[in-house]
Amino acid sequence: MDFFRQHILTIVAFLPVAGMLVLLFFNKENKTLIRVWANAVMIIGFLISLPLWFWFDRETSDQMQFVEKVTWIQTLGAEYHVGIDGISLLLVLLTTLLGPLAVLSSWDAIENRVKEYYAFMLMLQAGMLGVFISLDFFLFYVFWEVMLVPMYFLIGVWGGPRKLYAAIKFFLYTLVGSVLLLLGILALYFAFPAIAAEHPEIAMQFGTERTFDVLAFHAIAPYLMPDFQWWIFLAFFVGFAIKVPMFPFHTWLPDAHVEAPTAGSVILAGVLLKMGTYGFLRFSLPILPEATKAFVPMMIALSIIGIIYGALVAMMQPDMKKLVAYSSVSHMGFVMLGMFALNPNGLNGSIIQQINHGISTGALFLIVGMIYERRHTREISQFGGISNVMPVFAIVFLIMTMSSIGLPLLNGFIGEFTIVMGALEENLWWAVAAGAGIVLGAAYMLWLYQRTMLGKVENPANEKLIDMSMREIVTIVPLIIMAFWIGLYPAPFFEVLRKPVDRIVAKVRPDFFQGQPRLNAERVGEPR
Amino acid sequence: MNFLDLIWLIPLFPAIGFLINGLFGKRMPKTAIGVIAAGAVLLSFIFSAGAVLQLVQLEPEARSHTKELYEWFNVGQARTGAGGLAEFSVKWGYLLDPLSAVMILVVTGIGFLIHVYSIGYMHEEDGFYRFFAYLNLFMFSMLTLVLGSNYLMMFIGWEGVGLCSYLLIGYYFHKKSAGDAAKKAFVVNRVGDWGLSIGIMLIFVTVGSVEFKEVAEKVHEGVVAGMFHVSDPIFITIALALFVGAAGKSAQIPLYVWLPDAMEGPTPVSALIHAATMVTAGVYMVSRSNFIYQLAPEAMLVVAVVGALTALFAASIGLVQNDIKRVLAYSTVSQLGYMFLALGVGAFAAGVFHLMTHAFFKALLFLGSGSVIHAMHHEQDMRKMGALRTKIPTTFITMFVGTLAIAGTPLLSGFFSKDEILWQAFSSEHGHVVLWLIGVTVAGMTSFYMFRLLFMTFFGESRVDHHTEHHIHESPKSMTIPLIVLAIGAVLAGYVGLPAWLGGSVFEHFLEPVFEPLPFPQAVAEGAAGAEHHSVGLEIGIAAVSVAVALIGFALAYSKYCKRSWEEQREVRQYGPLYPALLNKWYVDELYDALFVNRAKGAGASMWKFDSKIVDGLVNGSAWTTVKSAVGSSWWDRWIVDGLVRLIGGVVKTVSWPLRLVQTGYVQNYALVMVLGVLVFIGYVLWGTP
Amino acid sequence: MDQFFRMQDIGAIVPELELAVFGMFLLIFDLMVKTKRRLGYIALGGLAISGVFLYQVRNVEYIAYGGSLVLDPLAMFFKVIFLIAAALSIAISLRYLDIERESHGEYYALILFATMGMMFMAGAVDLVTLYIGLETMAIATYVLVGFLRGNQRSNEASMKYFLLGAFSSGILLYGMSLLYGIAGSTRFDDIAAALDRRLLENPTDPISLMAMITLSAGIFFKIAAVPFHQWTPDAYEGAPTSITAYMSVAVKAASFAMMVRVFMIAIYPLRPQWVPILVAVSILTMTVGNIAAITQSNVKRLLAYSSISHAGYILIGLIAGNDTGLTAVGLYLLIYTFTNIGTWAVIVALRRKDVIGEHIDDMAGLYHKHPTAAVLMLIFLLSLAGIPPTAGFIGKYYLFAAAIETGHNTLAVVAVLNAAISIYFYLRIVVSMFMRDATEKTGLTFAPGLTMALGIAFIFTMWIGIYPDPFIALARRAIPLGF
Repeated sequence: MDFFRQHILTIVAFLPVAGMLVLLFFNKENKTLIRVWANAVMIIGFLISLPLWFWFDRETSDQMQFVEKVTWIQTLGAEYHVGIDGISLLLVLLTTLLGPLAVLSSWDAIENRVKEYYAFMLMLQAGMLGVFISLDFFLFYVFWEVMLVPMYFLIGVWGGPRKLYAAIKFFLYTLVGSVLLLLGILALYFAFPAIAAEHPEIAMQFGTERTFDVLAFHAIAPYLMPDFQWWIFLAFFVGFAIKVPMFPFHTWLPDAHVEAPTAGSVILAGVLLKMGTYGFLRFSLPILPEATKAFVPMMIALSIIGIIYGALVAMMQPDMKKLVAYSSVSHMGFVMLGMFALNPNGLNGSIIQQINHGISTGALFLIVGMIYERRHTREISQFGGISNVMPVFAIVFLIMTMSSIGLPLLNGFIGEFTIVMGALEENLWWAVAAGAGIVLGAAYMLWLYQRTMLGKVENPANEKLIDMSMREIVTIVPLIIMAFWIGLYPAPFFEVLRKPVDRIVAKVRPDFFQGQPRLNAERVGEPR
Repeated sequence: MNFLDLIWLIPLFPAIGFLINGLFGKRMPKTAIGVIAAGAVLLSFIFSAGAVLQLVQLEPEARSHTKELYEWFNVGQARTGAGGLAEFSVKWGYLLDPLSAVMILVVTGIGFLIHVYSIGYMHEEDGFYRFFAYLNLFMFSMLTLVLGSNYLMMFIGWEGVGLCSYLLIGYYFHKKSAGDAAKKAFVVNRVGDWGLSIGIMLIFVTVGSVEFKEVAEKVHEGVVAGMFHVSDPIFITIALALFVGAAGKSAQIPLYVWLPDAMEGPTPVSALIHAATMVTAGVYMVSRSNFIYQLAPEAMLVVAVVGALTALFAASIGLVQNDIKRVLAYSTVSQLGYMFLALGVGAFAAGVFHLMTHAFFKALLFLGSGSVIHAMHHEQDMRKMGALRTKIPTTFITMFVGTLAIAGTPLLSGFFSKDEILWQAFSSEHGHVVLWLIGVTVAGMTSFYMFRLLFMTFFGESRVDHHTEHHIHESPKSMTIPLIVLAIGAVLAGYVGLPAWLGGSVFEHFLEPVFEPLPFPQAVAEGAAGAEHHSVGLEIGIAAVSVAVALIGFALAYSKYCKRSWEEQREVRQYGPLYPALLNKWYVDELYDALFVNRAKGAGASMWKFDSKIVDGLVNGSAWTTVKSAVGSSWWDRWIVDGLVRLIGGVVKTVSWPLRLVQTGYVQNYALVMVLGVLVFIGYVLWGTP
Repeated sequence: MDQFFRMQDIGAIVPELELAVFGMFLLIFDLMVKTKRRLGYIALGGLAISGVFLYQVRNVEYIAYGGSLVLDPLAMFFKVIFLIAAALSIAISLRYLDIERESHGEYYALILFATMGMMFMAGAVDLVTLYIGLETMAIATYVLVGFLRGNQRSNEASMKYFLLGAFSSGILLYGMSLLYGIAGSTRFDDIAAALDRRLLENPTDPISLMAMITLSAGIFFKIAAVPFHQWTPDAYEGAPTSITAYMSVAVKAASFAMMVRVFMIAIYPLRPQWVPILVAVSILTMTVGNIAAITQSNVKRLLAYSSISHAGYILIGLIAGNDTGLTAVGLYLLIYTFTNIGTWAVIVALRRKDVIGEHIDDMAGLYHKHPTAAVLMLIFLLSLAGIPPTAGFIGKYYLFAAAIETGHNTLAVVAVLNAAISIYFYLRIVVSMFMRDATEKTGLTFAPGLTMALGIAFIFTMWIGIYPDPFIALARRAIPLGF
């Protein structure tokens, strides 16, 4: 038990790999065994990740916890250094939650090359978890790149008609981004020793050797020359913005989503995109505060464009999946907007919204997948009046639509409201523009719902559709529960986020918390 | 049993009802479903009544009870006002004070009756359980809206009722028109909600809290401390933003277009949501935020003008409608306009008072029309009715009472509330005689079109086709009893708010603590001198005028639609000349223009057209533009952004093609290239480097 | 200058001598042994023994033959690479030659001679020694490229390679003679000293610059850098695949060993002048290599271009010229040896009686028939593209790091972008292997040697990828602090 507690992160991250290695020895004809095994591994992975939530020390949620640190490549100063704070805690749990659902959802969907499919899914899971727990930039980069390969195969082998194009597009886009990211990392890596040498307190803690320790970079942040920061921010920006994806870099997303198998889309939207935003949160903001401030106008502009633009394009999509894909461009725009409002509301909202997006969009992709399995088309025009034949499905779809358009008591609202709040604190017009996005969001989602679910059943092909199976309900229910939990009682989530977020804000805007209490002195004074 | 601490149960009961019916309703008998749904609402009503009674027993200034369940969320510190920091923390709490007391009584009381009514009305419908589940969900949201202790709780309810209205309008979802109407309602409301949420955020950023009581206190402190001033731009912005929300929810210009279409929903829904409760949310919200509006007189002016215009506009449209429910719909819009007129002139209590009375008689009228439709086998066109009073007497009598009430017949509820508004519009310092004139005009038009409705439906000779003729029958008890109860309410509800010259309004007095004016320095000064009491004579005179106007309206309707039974050509021909007389009350300039016969119907029709074409057209138009621009952006996406990517690919290919040319395979070429390379280098190092 | 020849100098070249002797023996055995494959095993044995001798002198630092040949970690490191490369190439040849019906003893002998030549190059600190080693290697490879007598492409390739090689050697010699003229000595350190003096008088002394240019032109040819690369695709395509493999790693490594010595010692004083040229060449090389590779549909040509671009990357190490940079050169070549041999091994396996197995379609659906081989190929390709956790990433990482460290940011950016582009054509092979259905043409022929080679290549590719520490240490040790 004690051992487990000390190495829980490693175990959580590498269990899927272990599962995969075992999987390789199974006979590839024995599909059921493979499916059962993969699901089992994923579910166990989720269960053993739960203790993180309970053991996580809320008092020091801005400190790295469950830390493991082992020398890895001495000559480079790279270490196997993992640990999580409040932010990564949520993302790790999101990943371990979505993983099993994605795997479960593909039980019937995947018929050919089952073994490889699950092998890649498990590999992908490990890669993503690794990204969120790495505290060593080298390690981070390795995980970051590693999960490209399985995703590439998931799209390229089990994807739709234009899978090859989509897969290579995904791989190329992301790779171009990440190699530039690597250069940024290197620049920091070589900049560290000199700065550490000048500042004993840093040297005391991290030494003066070259290191990839993220915390060390956090420490030297104040001493980095602004123009130096500027360039590194640019490098990071390309790397992360492509992943998010932000406005001009988003075109890989719809293709990848549409072509990928359902589970692939779920993971892609649910977790992969978060790696980009997480990158900004963990690296760009705390390490490059000056540059961050300098880039705010650009980032906000791109985010807002993304919000409106994504929504508009989504409205025009004839393909459900593409519609949802574009909607995530819009939602990720919100996430970025909140993040670069650079105040507690914005950042908290932005992180919560990342979780929400994982839940809602993940669920929507599952839903589209279910209908696709039945009709083998995603053309909206093919449907209509489905709620007559599939009432349960209709309700689930409605709930998730509402959660996606930010209806109160559901998760989306909490995120969007706090984000827009944060934006408004900085500038009324940001909030107004974002608000337009919310209205449009309602428009296209409801239009989708109306065209697919409401009305009479015109298309005879839809008359015999069977309602959701038990397995499908099981895959979707956890997400519904999460949606309501975050909607009704998000306090626990904000609780773990609060300190890390305040820390980031304090780093980027040291003057933020110096504001003079005005009408509400007594509230600010009270300890929390 | 301390009901005050149990107010959180009031919204909970319908929520439970919703869960039971929603989850298991499919397998339950219809009676059980109905009993559960109505029972849940009845329970809330009992608890509301209990709580209110206990509230009344408290000292007037102590009549405000907050029940916080838990901290909903606490995001963190935020910059507010001039650099101050505040926690953005929101409690899941309920606030019972006179204002919310009135609201919950109205909502639960009328809501209960309509539930009962629906049991009868919806009996043949399939998806019975779905209907009641939605209805209960609506009750939950509406009660959260009016009981919530802060702006976000209110916002929950606000969006919740929007959702329910979406679901219930689209109840006959196999009808395309229903689906469209539902979507239109939700999206138009979303525009309003956008304004509202911006307003709420601005409130927090300015004041540092979203709790109603705290905001009120802080505003007071701010005013005392001289930090907030009258017509402080930020408060004007907030007030206007909030009003955008109100206009959306309460169907004011320019966002009222969704309400008439909303009549696609079942009639009880129209009664409950689109007449009695939901559409009044805007009124509630504005009067709840009265302390903000007091700081922004400009915004109040906007509210008043928009309210007045809406009232006039909708009423005039109502004149010529032939669909029984649409007449009532426009009448609702028009009455809501009244309420905003009241709020706009600073008569918050009057606005809320009219809200209450209107809830009674408008719910009554809608249910009555529902009963008619029910009897007529879903025939809504008044031109196909007539002479029904003998066939469905109960419905006739109750609806008659309702019509009298809304027309402002003395001693009925509508009279007192409408009169109060008109009086305030006339006399309050925010008021203006023009506003009053508009109000009076609308009063006349109201009584005209209401009686027109009554006569066309119940009097004259029957225009019903023979097939339905035989089957016309009075509705079941479960429908008529609510009608009777509501009729009684429509008569008596006014007596809590008697005008000053009849002993003053209990109602207004009850609401005073909520609407207490801000302690402006000058206001305090006036307060000393400002006990200037208006002459009773004048007030009575005002009342008399509105009564007279109502009578005129009645008389016109009577002569046109009762003495002789309705006949289309004759309607045009005969009531033509009289129409301008009605018209010139508000378009004095057109007094002479309007003297021509056929203008009458034309004007009304053109207004109806204007409504359907232009205003709707705007909405559709904006939708169209959106669509088009979306096409544009997706095009851009396909060709420009993606195109760049492809371009690069293409470039790469084309670049590599000449390479293959060079790659001829001839040794001498290769050697040549090598030599050239060497020469280039030599050139570089000899002359290239400085 | 002390007495020229000392007895113990012999000891310095025992591994080379041993190879020479084995080579001779092989030629003789060739006449007696029927199944030529045995000769292959003998050759392997020879390499092994040579390795043992090498191991004995692993820690010796020794200047032999009056300073014309040294025994130092650098030489040691590269010699190891050569031996490994040679051994692996022979291992993958055994079955292949039978299929090509060209199994002859001289094949193995020639490989041994070439290797010997390379080992001399690695140790040479004197122009003459260097040139002799170079030509020994070159002539042997010319023959090997044309080894498929029946195959016209092979002969043509050999011819081209020979002519151009001769041409470039000419240019190289011209440079060397200039240097001799300048220094009056053929020893690198004397040349360096002389150049120093000369440049002191006239920083842009045309003679020295001419010398530098011509010398580097000759070397660029050997490492197949643009614009001296054009022989590469033809030669690589025409040559027996096993030889292509051998050339792409060993010859390249040897040329880089030579380059390091020449540039970092002999013409180091001219560094300010040659750095910009190297930058230009490096950028050109990787870009042209990658872009040209995109349109290739013949796997051998494709990999030929990819190897050109890799030469471009490695140049970065020399441009950086610092500890990191030179470590990177060594490390990268080591990694490249394993990865690339692995890749070629699969291509070799594609060659069967009736199938040439060079076209990208010949790999269609390979995964379905030989999953293991396909997965290995995938790993090697990813390593070539520099995707972690494969060795290729570590190598690329080191090069880019060197560039950033020495402030060559533009170069670094171009390099990484190239690295990104390169994934495109590597994935074309992957697509063909994994995402298309197998044709009846698809298939592999395995042989123990080949399998072993694949295994070794795989193990090291992954090992260096996941735990590179010892190898980095080796490469670093190989860089004398003298630089």
